[in-house]
Amino acid sequence: MTTPAAVSRHRWRRHGTSYLMLLPFLALFAGFLVWPLANSLYLSFTRFDGVTAPEFTGLENFRRLLFDDDRFRHALGNTFLYVVASVGIGTLLSLGLALAFSGSGWPHRVMRTVFFLPSVTSSIALMLLWKWILNPGDFGLANTVAGWFGGRAVEWLATPGLTIPILVLMSVWGGMGYGMVLYVAGLNTIPQEYYEAARIDGATSWQQFRRVTLPLLRPVTTYVVVTGLIGAFQVFEAVYIVFRGTNNIGGVLDSGLMIVPYLYDQGFTHFKLGYASAIAWVLFVIIFALSMVNLRIGRALKEL
Amino acid sequence: MRRTTAAARAALITGLIALGAGCATSGTPETRQADANAPAAITWWSTGGDDESAAFQKAADLYTKSHPNVTIKVQTLSWDDAYAKLLAASTSRSGPDVVSGGMTWTIQFGLRGGMVDLRKYGVEQLKAQAQPAQWKSAVSPDGTVYGIPLDMSTEALYYRTDLLEKAGIKEPPTSWDELTADIGKLKDAGVRTPFSIDWGNLDWIGYFNFLYQAGGSFYTPDCKPSLGTPEAERALSFWIDLHRKYGAPTDTVTTSDALDAGTAMVYGGNWNALGIDTSKPKLKGKWAVAPLPAGPAGPTTFIGGRAVGVTSYSKHIQQAADFVKYLYTDEAVDAVNAESKARNVSYLPPRPDKVADSPFQPQQSEVFAKIISTGAAAPGCPGWDESAGDVAKHLQSAILGKADMKTALGEAAKVMERNAG
Repeated sequence: MTTPAAVSRHRWRRHGTSYLMLLPFLALFAGFLVWPLANSLYLSFTRFDGVTAPEFTGLENFRRLLFDDDRFRHALGNTFLYVVASVGIGTLLSLGLALAFSGSGWPHRVMRTVFFLPSVTSSIALMLLWKWILNPGDFGLANTVAGWFGGRAVEWLATPGLTIPILVLMSVWGGMGYGMVLYVAGLNTIPQEYYEAARIDGATSWQQFRRVTLPLLRPVTTYVVVTGLIGAFQVFEAVYIVFRGTNNIGGVLDSGLMIVPYLYDQGFTHFKLGYASAIAWVLFVIIFALSMVNLRIGRALKEL
Repeated sequence: MRRTTAAARAALITGLIALGAGCATSGTPETRQADANAPAAITWWSTGGDDESAAFQKAADLYTKSHPNVTIKVQTLSWDDAYAKLLAASTSRSGPDVVSGGMTWTIQFGLRGGMVDLRKYGVEQLKAQAQPAQWKSAVSPDGTVYGIPLDMSTEALYYRTDLLEKAGIKEPPTSWDELTADIGKLKDAGVRTPFSIDWGNLDWIGYFNFLYQAGGSFYTPDCKPSLGTPEAERALSFWIDLHRKYGAPTDTVTTSDALDAGTAMVYGGNWNALGIDTSKPKLKGKWAVAPLPAGPAGPTTFIGGRAVGVTSYSKHIQQAADFVKYLYTDEAVDAVNAESKARNVSYLPPRPDKVADSPFQPQQSEVFAKIISTGAAAPGCPGWDESAGDVAKHLQSAILGKADMKTALGEAAKVMERNAG
């Protein structure tokens, strides 16, 4: 009869080296991810200014955040609008580009490279470029081009109604190449026989797309949407670099205020690190819930 | 077995949270001081550019000459991430001995136990040498001195001499009425953008100048919000008119870019004066600076700058505080002035009597000295730092036509009152 101790010894002999080799990763994982996360969860229940000792306040940060903080609600509204627009438009355009440039000829390869380039460029450099393009008066490229066609100069960065459309434009432009590459990979896994069978059955191009391509791309779409959601909810550089004012991180009238810039503002310019931690955990819950909903929808559609 | 694993997992999570709780911060224990006579290596985190740090290093090296036991290393922090780095240093209670940054930073860190009260080390004797309003703004509301002014910055009117001449304007405007009249003349002469604001555009700093020039202020002397006054309304009304009636852009354009693109007059920070000829060589000889046009109550202009102080977690507080005091000596100010001049880097010393020797051209230094003599600094009232961003937003809503003037000022005052505690 084999005792549990003997099983344990056997397992250790068999896998011990593997566990030992995992140790460096586990140490880093615990030190730089698990520990800060646990710490941030604790801090979200405290009043902590970063210098003096944290004072436990229970759920006060969450109560204030959800019921008393107009600026947080404004940031939340802006973020949802931005996420829906950027992920929605970005996913559609990624799919469109993939359908247009999924071939193996060099013109398609060149186009794929061109659209993928922003994904491998430093986001800081890209944001500075956008800032330069959107400069007011006659210095910005956007206004210069508009001027060639008789258009009036627009104060892009000081017109609150334009802030979110500009942020969406920057996000879609920067991210659609990445989505395109994933969709192209997905398209290449669809067996050509399915299309041949559909054609024999008299399916039109649109019907082939709707009944064959889209359903078989569902795992890719789920991945593109979930990663897009996570990235969009965490938008920071675009707001911080392009729209930040001297005393206001969210641009004119907070028109570009999003959750993560607000978190940064509270934690690192107003010494409210406990409150900022609470914002971080609310953001985590939102992203987690939406990702779960998305995965469930994907699974439900698969079962149809 | 499964139960054991689950229990171990729960214990691990609980342990980590407890660890987090214990290690989040251990409060603010006193840092053990090194022997005052032992060699001290002092680190100064200087917010700004590398050239500025190099200029301060000159003063530090001179100090080391007379105090061979003390060596000082000036390290640059960029404006973008300095605040977060200083916060991280304060949290971990390890880092620099001396820090310099925004005027109110030393107060904010000091009120939380991160800075030393420099009164204990005799810095108040320097007050007489400093610009009074700026010194006041560096002092915390309860009178504690966590930092002293390291340099000054102010705002001036930059103008294109060729464009003013083209419009038949002989001298730059000296009053609000002259400013608006000149904008009209420049428009008539075909200048598309006669006027713009760089520093403080759509921000409380921009309003500050108009408010004080109209005879108003953000707070009463006993720190009650005072934005419900006729002066505050007059200032805001004038500011709104400059944007809506006289075409000042709401989007911010840097002074040099604006002048280069044909804007005739720009309100810009003093630091712009050194870079224009280098970055826009075709403007050489075509621009000059003047004080801001005065309002009904005078020409009062905003004075900002950086403050320098000693961290409470330094092991060499005595030596660091002595060095901070040294920065006000003739020897130190002259050294920083000279090095700044050599590196063409903007520096207005914290001592008004030394502004004439600053790196700017004599005419420019003269203008800045004149502005500084009647300048005012940011409000030092409790809650102002927390309010500034929201006050700016309410002012923006009036300029952009989203709220009427009285409502905007009323809402701004409410924010200030709420944050005053």
